[in-house]
Formats: sequence, C-alpha cells, structure tokens
Amino acid sequence: MTNKGATYKAALDELHHQLSRFVPLTKAEFGQLLTHVEIREFEKKVKVIREGEVERYLNIVAWGLVRKYLPLRNKEITVQLAPEGHIIHSELSFYYRTPSRAVVETIEPTVFFSITYESLEQLYDQMPKIERLGRLMISDLFIKKDDRYFDQLKKTTRERFLEYIHTHPQMLQRVPQKYIASYLNIKPETFSRLKHLMRPKRG
Amino acid sequence: MLEMLRQYVSGYVALSDQEFSFLADMLVIRSFDKRQQLTQAGEVENYMNFVIKGLARMYFHRGNTEVITNIAKEGELISSSASFLSGNPSSFYIETLEPTTFLSITRQHLDKLYRESPAIERLGRLLTTHFVLQKEEWELSCMRLDTRERFLHFVETNPELVQRVPQKYLASYLNMKPETFSRLKHLLRKRPSGRK
Repeated sequence: MTNKGATYKAALDELHHQLSRFVPLTKAEFGQLLTHVEIREFEKKVKVIREGEVERYLNIVAWGLVRKYLPLRNKEITVQLAPEGHIIHSELSFYYRTPSRAVVETIEPTVFFSITYESLEQLYDQMPKIERLGRLMISDLFIKKDDRYFDQLKKTTRERFLEYIHTHPQMLQRVPQKYIASYLNIKPETFSRLKHLMRPKRG
Repeated sequence: MLEMLRQYVSGYVALSDQEFSFLADMLVIRSFDKRQQLTQAGEVENYMNFVIKGLARMYFHRGNTEVITNIAKEGELISSSASFLSGNPSSFYIETLEPTTFLSITRQHLDKLYRESPAIERLGRLLTTHFVLQKEEWELSCMRLDTRERFLHFVETNPELVQRVPQKYLASYLNMKPETFSRLKHLLRKRPSGRK
C-alpha cells in the first residue's frame, strides 16, 4: 500500500510539473485543480470508451499504455498510442456530446487522471489561469496533430518507420507491432520487413 | 466588414462592445489579387486570417504535385496554424484563388489581447479546440469513408465551393484523381432531380 501511495505521489508531482510547463501553478492552485480530478484504474485490454457511448472524460495517463482506434467493417485503425503523460479520450464525442465513433482501450494496466466535461467547464469559470492552461495545451495538441497529419501525407513508409522507431524506441518494446504498424499506416508485413532491415546496423 | 467577424466570434463567446473594439483595434486589413501567396513553406506564419471576401487555399508539394489541405471562403479562418502557434517554419503555402481581402492579426497582437482580456483568451481556447476537432473529424472521415462517400459528403456540405473552386483543386483536397472527381460529378448530374 505504501508503495502504491508513493507511486501516486510521484505521478501527481509529474502532472504538476507537466502542467507548469504551460502555466506555472502554485501548490494551492494545483490542489484546487485536483479537487476536480478523478483517479480511474483499469486492467489491461479494457475498453474505457466504446463505440456509440458518449465520452464523459478527458484522461491523462498517470501510468500505463492506451490506444485509440476506429473500428471499421473488417479492420481496426489505430489513431493514437498514449503512454504516461499523454492525453487520450474520444475528443469529438467529449466536446460535441455525440456518440463516439472511436474506441479507447488499455494495452497495459492503466491509471488515469480524469476530469469530466462539466468539471472542466467549472474550472475554466473559476480559474482564469486554467483557461490559459487549456488554451496552451490545446494549441500544443493541435501542433502535434498537424505534424502527424503532415507526416502521413508527405513521408514515405520507410521514412515514417525510421522516424518513429528513433523517436519512440521504448514504444517498440511495449506496444504490439500490429498496433504500431496500423498507427503508422504501414502493412504489418512491411513493418516486419523494415524491422529486419534495421537489425544488421546495430552493434 | 467587422460585422461579419463579430457574428463569427459570437458563435464562441459573447464579447462586450468594448472587448470587441479592443479586438478590432489589433486587426489589419490585407488585400491580395488572385493567385498571390501570402504564406510560404519554410517561413514562419505571422498571421491568422479571417476571409472577408474571396477564396484561399493551403497546400504543400509532394514531388511534382500539390496537395491541398484546406480551402477557406468568406467567414472562415485560414492560416498555417501550427506554424502560427508554435513559431516553427510553415510546412504549407497559402495562396489566394480569387482576389481576396482578409482581416488579419499577428501572433504578437493576439498575445497582447490574451493577456488583457479573459473573454478573448476564452475565444482563443475555443477556436483552437474547434481546429483540433475539425482536424480529427477530417482524419476520421478519410479513414471511414470511401472515395465516393467522401465526394458526396463534400458536395452536399459545400455546394458553393463546387461552383467556385477549380475541379483539380477540389480533387486534390479530397485526395482523389481529377478524373475520378469528374466521373463522380457526372454521376451526380444523372441522378433524377427531386430525389436526394
């Protein structure tokens, strides 16, 4: 139990640090924000939000690993892979209050810091600093999304593969290969082939 | 001119007359002939632009082809937003398709507004959220819909652009060959009128 308490403490400190990179928050301000935050725990391979449900939460991964995918007739397309510190939820459903088309599912046992739409609105009304924090975090999200979109359109399969494994080496260890391949829009066979090509270079 | 912007803004936040004129004071009017570039790839985007009159497109080069990622008409915003927000060089070009007038604001002036007006800061948050959601919606619909469905969805929601924008640009925006776009357009005509 003590061990678990220490892990939570570390994750909360990390969250405070992460948010303060956008807007410095005092201990008191961070504490006020935390009164709106729920801690949610999930086993691995659990659907956090299903297709057709309305998303109630914005989640930040405290620890664990989560993916978001679009279920189509005969396949799933992975659109996001979120390790510690990343925000993941069905955002169209969350903001428009419409049934989700996407599924959010844990890959590893996961703990979220979650906030509901209503709580978030309350925070924006109560704390102008949070309004700024929200604006800056969303801008950051937009920039990342735009980069990924551009990469998908402009870069070759090989370039996308090489760039991803260089910038996310730890994800290769943690995420099943087929999910990464889907995320990069590369066929699983091609992904395997590219991975083998990489090996002789090592050491 | 300002009335159009005021109406657009009111879809997100209610600004007082004073707050709106504070915003209006920071804007510049920029006019371009058709086929003029207002943003170059490799340069930092300085402006967020609201289209008052005209039409503009955003694109990048892939080999010899241009890939169009956005088309904006009157009452819409256009900017190489990621560059505008991050200060990094733009990956995209922006070019007018018709003679176009914008109400534009620099990053510096926008930051000044954010510092001094919480209501405008909220407007910024909501608009940025809107951009993120638009991107998400576009990305998901590209995965979910096939070429034909994408075409039909587009012509139903943007009948005006179908009239005003050269077909090859629309085809590029919808990520299909110009021939495919043409063929689908002909199919559309043959549908009996009155049936939707």
